[in-house]
Parts: sequence; structure tokens; C-alpha cells
Amino acid sequence: MSTQQPVLRLQNLTRVHGSGATEVHALRGIDLDVFPGELVAVMGPSGSGKSTLLTIAGGLDTPTSGRVIVENTDITTADRKALAALRRRSIGYVFQDYNLIPALTAAENVALPRELDGTSARKARGEALAALQEMDLGHLADRFPDEMSGGQQQRVAIARALVGDRRLVLADEPTGALDSETGESVLALLRSRCDAGAAGVLVTHEPRFAAWADRVVFLRDGAVVDQTARSEADSLLSGQAAER
Amino acid sequence: MKNWFHSWRAAVRIARRDAWRYKGRSFLVLAMIALPILGVSAVDLTLRSSELSASESLDRMIGAADARFNDAAVAGVPILQTPDGEMHTPAKDYGDKVWPSGPTDVTKTFPAGAVVLTDSSGSAKLTTAHGLLQTEVRELKAADPVARGILTLLDGRFPEKADEVAATSHFLETSGLKVGSALSPRGSDTTYRIVGSYELPNDLKTDQVNALPGAFLAPYAKAVEKAGLTAPGVSTTYLVKTPGGFTWNMVQQINTKGVAVTSRAVLLDPPADSEVPLYQKDGWANFETSAGAQAAELAALGTVVGLAMLEICLLAGPAFAVGARRSRRQLGLVGANGGSRSHIRAIVLSGGLVIGVAAAVTGTVLALILTFALQPLLEDAMGQRFGHFDIRPLELLAIALLAVLTGLLAAIVPAITSSRQTVLASLTGRRGVRRSSRVLPLVGLGALLLGGAIALYGSLVSDQFVIVAGGSAIAELGVVAMTPALVGLFGRTGRWLPLSPRLALRDAVRNRGRTAPAVAAVLAAVAGTVAVSTYAASDDAQQAAEYTARLPHGAVSALVVEDGGRDVPAVREAVQRLFPIDTRADVNRVSVGKPGCSPYGEGAGCGRYEIVIPPANECPLWARSDRGEDPSEKFSKEERRKLAEDWRCQEHSGGFHGDGGLLVGDAKLLKVLGIEDAGAEKALAEGKVVSFSKAQLDRNGKVTVKVITDTEKALKAEQEGKPAPGTLTALPAHQVSGDPNSYGVQALITPAAAKAAGLSTVPLGSFYSTERMPTAEQRQKLDGEIAKLGSDVDFHLEEGFVGESSIVLLVLTVFAGLVTIGAAGIATGLAQADAEADLKTLSAVGAPPRVRRTLSGFQCGVVAAMGVILGSAAGVLPAIGLRLTEERERLRFYEESLDEGWGAMSSPPYVPIVVPWETLAALLVLVPLGAALLAALVTRSRGAVARRAAI
Repeated sequence: MSTQQPVLRLQNLTRVHGSGATEVHALRGIDLDVFPGELVAVMGPSGSGKSTLLTIAGGLDTPTSGRVIVENTDITTADRKALAALRRRSIGYVFQDYNLIPALTAAENVALPRELDGTSARKARGEALAALQEMDLGHLADRFPDEMSGGQQQRVAIARALVGDRRLVLADEPTGALDSETGESVLALLRSRCDAGAAGVLVTHEPRFAAWADRVVFLRDGAVVDQTARSEADSLLSGQAAER
Repeated sequence: MKNWFHSWRAAVRIARRDAWRYKGRSFLVLAMIALPILGVSAVDLTLRSSELSASESLDRMIGAADARFNDAAVAGVPILQTPDGEMHTPAKDYGDKVWPSGPTDVTKTFPAGAVVLTDSSGSAKLTTAHGLLQTEVRELKAADPVARGILTLLDGRFPEKADEVAATSHFLETSGLKVGSALSPRGSDTTYRIVGSYELPNDLKTDQVNALPGAFLAPYAKAVEKAGLTAPGVSTTYLVKTPGGFTWNMVQQINTKGVAVTSRAVLLDPPADSEVPLYQKDGWANFETSAGAQAAELAALGTVVGLAMLEICLLAGPAFAVGARRSRRQLGLVGANGGSRSHIRAIVLSGGLVIGVAAAVTGTVLALILTFALQPLLEDAMGQRFGHFDIRPLELLAIALLAVLTGLLAAIVPAITSSRQTVLASLTGRRGVRRSSRVLPLVGLGALLLGGAIALYGSLVSDQFVIVAGGSAIAELGVVAMTPALVGLFGRTGRWLPLSPRLALRDAVRNRGRTAPAVAAVLAAVAGTVAVSTYAASDDAQQAAEYTARLPHGAVSALVVEDGGRDVPAVREAVQRLFPIDTRADVNRVSVGKPGCSPYGEGAGCGRYEIVIPPANECPLWARSDRGEDPSEKFSKEERRKLAEDWRCQEHSGGFHGDGGLLVGDAKLLKVLGIEDAGAEKALAEGKVVSFSKAQLDRNGKVTVKVITDTEKALKAEQEGKPAPGTLTALPAHQVSGDPNSYGVQALITPAAAKAAGLSTVPLGSFYSTERMPTAEQRQKLDGEIAKLGSDVDFHLEEGFVGESSIVLLVLTVFAGLVTIGAAGIATGLAQADAEADLKTLSAVGAPPRVRRTLSGFQCGVVAAMGVILGSAAGVLPAIGLRLTEERERLRFYEESLDEGWGAMSSPPYVPIVVPWETLAALLVLVPLGAALLAALVTRSRGAVARRAAI
């Protein structure tokens, strides 16, 4: 796996909010590579910098120093337009809740990044339907978000995050607003997408969800304090399974 | 290009569904944009439909005939006419010489074999169910195919026998008669039966009766003359139909015989202006299409449309801003999924596009339906039938496009603001600090200074309204652009205020992006209102100062000139009975010739009289000269100015315009007019003339009356600059002491003295003094009684000056108030959407629930107050500028008139500037207060229970 090029590469990433007396170090020299087929869980207490890491990785925020490389592109030097294009083509987001645009159906939500990219509505819809089918969500295609359960909405959001050629999904507590059973099904879907070749970063503070990951990165005060190898994650997962 | 199209499609889809999801807000904005579109489209449809094509209007004018022949009344000398035959003049120049006048035999000009219908019009007083009604009588064989199209038969048929008539539906309505009723003219024993009703498609409100040629007017004239009165005039034209019609050449041929022609062929294919000899004549050029006037009209229209659009944009803008703010997270999600700034802008702009298109469609469709459904009502209101329902797709489309444009313009600022937010801020709901543009206030300041300078130049140096108005408009737009900066200034006053208003003010100032458009909307509406109010109030004050009373306050005059005063007794009786009369002074007028003659001697056997001004008393500026030149030309400017102050050149303006200047009455009239002069009463008793004009008396203290019996000779003499021939009678006279206001009465003589002097008199009417001002009810009753007499009564009740602008001012104030409350309400809604977090914090630290109410009240009040304060200041100034210009212009005119020697007729201009304090007080105090209370009332004290952040 390590012979492959990472989809996401973070190099010596720091982020400082404010200045002088109000200076806060949100991230301090983070290095992280995420390879295709790999799901990385980021854990840590509140304020440890998990969400900041994710927003910077997706180009929604800029680091104070360091580099973010997505699919061989350094996004820290890209302009706003290029960043938006990158989010349309390479990076998918899944937030804790309200991921879907209420005015659009599930299929239209999934097709949105493609349509914004200039693909014709018919073609974008075809791709969206294919993505939904692949994840067994075809029956939800024409439903509006307020006609779907929370779990269904999150799964549609994952479908959207990976529609077209997108290979990087950044999920910020995607199960936070769900009960544990629905949460498991969402995680299972994410896991299966990574197994199919996508790269995923999952921010969570629940160890049992982190257990779905290949690797777990622990953050505290903006720095990586611990990293598990894949096998340890496996043992966590099996432990989790035993508990259940 | 293609990419752009696809991403816009997605944006429009989101906007369309959002508009549907938030129906209330969408409907509000849609109504705001659609209503003006509905109005303008309906006006366009109505005007276009009522505009007749040449052929339609010809059908209404000349029916199926080829032409209408008209005696030009110039004794048959050749004439030149306009292509439509409406205007004509003798071909030869007569200059100061006597113009030819008299009838010619039109029938001699008809081509051989032509079909001819006569069309004669006169008038008669007809008995109706309510009394008498002065009615137009038209003798035309209306059932003839040649006349088809002139009258539209509604019921029954047109007359076929001499004792039958048809009447317009309007006549039947006013007279209370119906088809089948009998009708007879006053003083005649002939009775006519109404056999049908019709209308004139071009004039639905005419009271007209149609009879067969010769059946009505001639017998009526005989009956009237038998009663010793003058028969009403009759004018006759001829509808002519001939194979091939009448070309312009033929028309010009006929013109050589003194006959004007309205020809179908000429009107359908009008000759070029160069082929119309009349247009080549000095002073007769065709002014119909003046490019300058059209451009000015277009500019005025453009300004009004532009300002209306600006106002709508300012009002609708905040609504789109609310929408964008509410769907902030949605926009953030789009950003997270790769939406760039242009995509975000497209989504918010699409909101404007969707509503604009919906408003355009709604407005246009409603306009079509309403205009079509209300066509009969519209036709009645305009007094004219439509030619055909005329839909001009291009014009309607252009109007509809205005709606789309308005929607887009209103959404521009919210679109830009939303797109500037970072995705992260949108997603997390962090508000961040929004900087307002620094360029806009500078541009605004520039526009304010430039516009102010132009207006100042206009009011102080030039005297052109357009410059002042244009400058003011530019300055006003500048103030609108400066609003965000001005709103910032208000923030400084915050620290002395208690909590709720302080929070409201700080919030408004910190979020200028949403406050400024609302304040600007209020500003624009209030500025317009204040400007018009100030101008109207000043104009009112000026008119009140310039008002000339026709009678003493509360006095009444009711005079009847026609028919030798036949109805005077009935009018006197009605006034005496219905009004609280104190003194009644009956007056007669001197009549020369038959009793039924009009005062100015028109008609056969009629003459007139005049009081001869002794040559020594004549104003040299006006003195009659032998050669017909202007007498004032002999004098220099200075001499003219001096002469204008000479007593002989003073003119007394007043209410009563007597005929020759001598009124026949007694001392009661002096009492009614409030003239106290013991000598005058005595003089009347002694049979002397009482004169109110110094110039009338000659050196022997006598007034000379000249009775002119041959008016034609008199006219000729006058045209030659000689005195008119007549019989002179010198009467002993008394000059009223002092210079009391005689309200236009120049000289008074008692009936006995008039008789002794050989002057015959007829009743004219009465002057009355009242015990108290008659009530509105009494006035209406009297109006009804007078209407029943069918008489032309010159009635006047002196009430002093009554301003007409108060209703306008009230309407404007209410309008500005509504706009203010609307705009402030929208801004408050926006503030509420924003302030949810603050309110939660407030209640968490223990603020009582009413803080929520008071806060929203103050937020609304703050926006309204800022708008009205800025608007009032911005509105008063242009009004003052306009008044100053007006004063300069009138002053210039006054100086000129002094130079020319007309000074005695005008007084120095009085152009006051009056600030309408009531309107200002209502706008400055009541409206913000009302807005605040309303907002406080409709706000719930408790917030929605911990609602999750809305998408």
C-alpha cells in the first residue's frame, strides 16, 4: 500500500487562530498520509483540532504553515476558484447532520457537484443514479431530504461525497446525530467505499466507530500524540464486536 | 458557455424550489414586483385599445361615407385646410383687415351623382322625468347605410317618422326617461316618442337626441322665437358618398369654394407635409410630431420608471437578503461540494430571477384578464369605446422584462454579500465581521455634491425647473448610496440609550448590509413625500395669498343670462328657500334689442351697450389708436413703469364680470357687498348712477352710456380703429368715496332710473348675504334644484380660499408611512433571523421575556427613524430649491411686464416657502412609533424552543 501515492498528504501542518494574547495553536506540525483504500479515523477530546484538521485538508480553511497535497496538487497555494474545482472533482464532505440541500432530491443532491462542474443535467443524473444504485440507495433517488431518515440522509451524503471521480471523503462526526445502529450502517457504507478504493478521513470521538478504520490518529492540543497500526485497529474492531 | 448554462440550471432549480418552500416571503416579494407590472401593463392595454386606427376613427366620424363637407364660414372664399379638415384658414392673407365671414352654399360643391346625408346639430331644453335638461339635438338619418358606424344602436330602432326620436343611453339615464317615453321641448306643444337608444362610440357621456332631418330643430326654433327668445344656433355638415372617394387634390379643389372636407381616402393615406399648402403658411407648420417633446416625455417616463424600480429594489432587496441569510448553511453546503463564489451568486440571483419571472407572468396575465373583463367599465370611465382589444406583445414583453430586471437587481447585493462569506463561516453559522463597501459612500458623496451643485446652480443662477429637479434627483441617489455610512453615524448616539434600544441601534449599525437598504427605501419614499408636501404646502400658501374673493365671505350670487332671464324667479325662489338668507338684492341687466338677446349682442335683432370712458380718463398705454398699432409702443420702458402706477391704468379685478359695466339694482346690493357710503344710497334714491370707477365720470360728473343697435357696423368700426356708432345718454352720477372693493361691479343704477333714461332691462338674478355659511347638505339640495331647471346658472358661494392639496398630502403621508413600516418590518425580520443567538444568550443571562419584544420593536423603530430623519432632510431641500427657482422666474416675468407696461395688471410675486409641519410631525414621530409598536406586537415574547439551526 505504501508504494502507492497517497490521496491526501499533510506535511508539517500548523494552524494558529488569532495573534498576540489571543493566539491559539489549533494544529502543531501535523504529518499524515492517507492512501487509496484506507480509512483513517481521527480521535481526540474537544478542541484538540480534529475539525480544523479536516477543514484544512478539504481546503475550506488555510493552514498557517505546512502543505496539503490532494491527488498530487498542493492546495495551500491554489486560488479560490481552483479550490472550488478541487472540491467538485476530488474531495467529498460528510458533516454531522444537515448534509443535504433541502430544495433538491437525493439524486439531485448527489448530482450537484457534477452539475456545478458543468456536466449536463441528464448525464449528472445518470452518474448520480449509478452511485446511488451501487450503494443500494436507488429507491431514495427522488425523495427530498425531509422525506428521508437521518441514516438515509447520511448515506446519500456519502454517495454524493464519492460521485464521479472523487476519491477522498472527509467525514466530520457523520454519525453524531444518529442512533448507534444507524451509525453502524453508515460506517459500514463508508468502510465499503474505502475497500472499493476511496481514501477516507473520519473524525469521531467514539472508539467503536473508530474501529472501522484502518488506522487511528489521536490528537491532543493540535498535535498527534499516538497512532495505531492497522492491526491494532483490527483488534479494537474485534473487541468492539465481542462487546456487542 | 455550456458549463455556465448547466451550473445555472442547478442554481435556478434550487432557487425555484426554495421560493416554493417559503411561500409567504416569495408571495410578498412577488406581489411587490407584480403589482406595478400589472398596473403598467393594464394601462398599456387600455391606452392601446382605446387608440383608434385611422379607419376605425373614420367610421366613427363619417360612418360609411367618403367624406364630410363642412362650411368654413368664410363667405365662400378659397381656404387652405389640414389633411383631416379640422383646421382651416382663408388662403389669402387678410392681416389687420376685416376677415371674410358668412355662409356659403356647400351643396354646390357635391360631385354629380353623389349620395348626400345632412347632419345638423343644435340644442334644446327638453322636459325630463326630473325637470328640464339642456340637450344636444342631432338631425341625421341614422338608419341610412351611409351613416352606419357613427351612432351605435343599443335598443329599439332609429326614428322613421317626424314625431319619433332616439336618445343616447346617457341621456336616458340622466333624464329618467326610457324607450317608449314621450318627450317634448320646453315651450313647444310638439311631442316626440323615444323609439330607440344609442351611443356615440367616441363619446359615451353625451346627452343627445336623434331626429329625422327637419323634424326637430326647425319647429323648435319657431316655438322659441314665438316666445320672443333667440333660437339656438344650428350647424350643418354633409356626409357625402361618391364612387372613388375624394383624393387630396379633389379636397383642395373643393377648398377653393370655401368648404372644408374630411375625406376617408386622404386620412387613410395622408399627403406629405410638403404637399399641404397650409403647413407652408407662416405659423401653421405641423407641430404634431416634435422630437424634442417626445424625448422630454420619454426622459420623464424613464425617470419615473427608474425611481419606481429603485424603490422596489430597495424594498425587495432585504427580503432576498433574509432568504440568503436563512439558507446560509445550504449555501455553505454548496460551497463544500465545490460551488465557487459565482455558483453561490447564481443561486441567490436565481432567487431574484425566479420571483421576477413569476411576477412578470402573474402581472401580465392578470393585466390581460382584468383589462379584458373590465373593458366595459374602462370604456365607461374613459367615455369612449375601444377600437379593438389591442395586445402589443413587444410592449407587454418589455414591461414584463422590467419585472425580471427588478427581481435580479433586488437580489444583486444579497448575492454578492452571500458569495463573499467563506464556506466555513456559512457552515458553522459564524457571523464574522462584514465590512461595508468603502467605495459606495464615496461615490454617493460625489453624487450628492454634484447633484447639490447642479440644483444650487439651477435655483440661484438659472430658472429652469429641469436643472433643479435633475440635480435633486442625482443628490438624492447620492444620499441613498451614502446610507450605510450615515447609518454608521447614528451608532455614536448609542451609549446614552437604555439596553434594548442600545442593542437595537448597535445591531443595526453593525449589520449595515441589511439595515442600509431598508433605511434607503424609507429614505427615498419619505424624501419624495416631503418634497412634494413642502412644495404643495408652499403652493397652497401662495394661492391663498393670491386668492381674490368674488364676493364678501359667505355671500352668494346666482345669475342667469340665457333666455332673457326666464328662469330667474325660479332660481331666486330656490336660493331663498334652501339657504339661510339675510338680505337679497335683486339685479337686472340692461338689454338692447329683443328680451332674449345675449348681453354681447349676438344674433339678429340684438344689440349691446357700453359705458363710454372719457378720453382724458383713458390709460395712455391702452388708448385706442387710429391705425391699430399698440399704443404702449410710443413709450420708453421707464415711462411705461411710471404710467403703470397712474390711477387711469389701475385695473380692479373682481368677481362679477358685467356686460357693459352697468348693473341695475338698488341699495340692498350695497349692503350685500358691504359698501358703506351714505352718499351712494342717497344718490340711488335720487336716480343717479353710482360709480365705483373713477374713470367712468366725465368732467361734469356724468356717466355716458352708449347703446349700439347695429353690431355689425360697430364691429367694422372697431376693426378700423374708430368708435362704434350708437346713441349716447349722459346720466348724473355719484362717485363712491374711498376705494371700496366692489367685487367687479363698476356702476349701479336703480330700475326706475334706468327706465327713465330709456334703458330697457331684463332680470339677471340676485346677490345674497347669508346669516351663516350654508351647509354642504343645503348646497347639494340647491345644486339638485338648479339642475332640474336645466338652466345655465352662474352660481357662486364665497367660501374664501379652499386648498386642494390637503387630500394629496394625506395620501402621500399614508403612502410614505406604509413604505416605512414595510421596509422597517422587513429589516426587523432580517434582524430577528440574525439575532436568535444573541437572544438566547440574553435569556440565558436572565433577561425577561419582554426584552425580545422590546428589542424587535426598537429594531423596527430604529430603521424607521433613521429613514425618516434622513428622508425629511433630503426632501425639504429640493422643494426649497424649486420654490426659489419659481420665485426667480416669476420675478423676471414681473419685471418684464413692468417694462412692457403691463405692470398694473400684476402685483410683485409672492412665492412663500412653507414647511408642512403636520406631515413632517406625522412622518418623524408617528410613523417610527407606529412601526416600533407594530413590530413589538407581532413578535412572540418566547423564541421557538431551541430550534436547530435552520438550513
